[in-house]
Amino acid sequence: MVPLLIPMEGDEHGWPPGVHSFDSRPLFPALGPEWGWLNNHLIQAIIGAAVVIGFWLWMARGQQVVPGRKQFLGESLYNLLRNSIARDILGHDFRKFLPYLVALFSFILVNNLFGQLFLFMFPTFSKIGYAYGLAILSYIVYNAAGIAKYGFGSYMRRMTLPEGVPVALWPLIIPLEFLSNFIVRPVTLAMRLFGNLFAGHLVIMVFVVGGSMLLTMTEPTAGFPVPLLNTAGVVSLLFSLAIFALEILVAILQAYIFTVLTAQYISSAIAEEH
Amino acid sequence: MSGQGGADQGYRILSIMIAGLLAYGTLGWLLDRWLGTAWFLPIGLIVGVALGIYLVVVKFGRSQ
Repeated sequence: MVPLLIPMEGDEHGWPPGVHSFDSRPLFPALGPEWGWLNNHLIQAIIGAAVVIGFWLWMARGQQVVPGRKQFLGESLYNLLRNSIARDILGHDFRKFLPYLVALFSFILVNNLFGQLFLFMFPTFSKIGYAYGLAILSYIVYNAAGIAKYGFGSYMRRMTLPEGVPVALWPLIIPLEFLSNFIVRPVTLAMRLFGNLFAGHLVIMVFVVGGSMLLTMTEPTAGFPVPLLNTAGVVSLLFSLAIFALEILVAILQAYIFTVLTAQYISSAIAEEH
Repeated sequence: MSGQGGADQGYRILSIMIAGLLAYGTLGWLLDRWLGTAWFLPIGLIVGVALGIYLVVVKFGRSQ
């Protein structure tokens, strides 16, 4: 592989794709570096939020007792989230958290699908900062819910001291539970979302960019004849379609998992004694 | 808590196991640095895993 890759470093195709392929571009480079924060990925996230808000507002307009086609679609989506995530996990308290969970799921899903959408071709959450942002939001929500229900002291006690541990082991278990509940949880929540989308997008780029490069080659490279290179390019582009399909599945699955885990964390924060 | 299968519980168990390794591995590593020894880190890692498994059993082993 190495002799094949090295002559193409710095190629105009951007080969090989790597971490640099995920760099944001400032939207108005003419305005100078102080406007650098206004980049294409931020705009993409804002468009994602606008799409989600617009979609649910549109679905909520003109509700009737006998639902039409549009209302039926909206209600089915909403009920799916309401019944299979919120009510199943949170039990009778689920109404308070339902708006957050629905918004979370739709926002992540829309942003993930941007990775497969030709307008953007980039999943927003493959920038880790956006994933951290969402995890912090969920972290605040579930801790605030727990503190609001039990008060700070008894919430901390509940979260760091599981029942059924003998007193002798408390000093050993408390730091472990604290770390698990307050640090590892939110970090893994963000990492899981980021890692899945980052890796998926990178694989797609390897197949698409590499495939189109092989397809357009006109002279033998690294000892391979041109027809073989071009055939490999066609195969690689065809295979990238399969990966696109897989990535759509991953996009839905990761939005679902993030929402389920947020609901699960809320539920463990406000759970009744048992 | 039904319907979601084991995935969410699995992730919670995973976070406990990671926390065990992190907490006691870090403690062992710090002791090693402080005392100039080399055997606190492996001991810390083993203790961390053992406590993690114990905690998983305490938290998730009873409901069945």
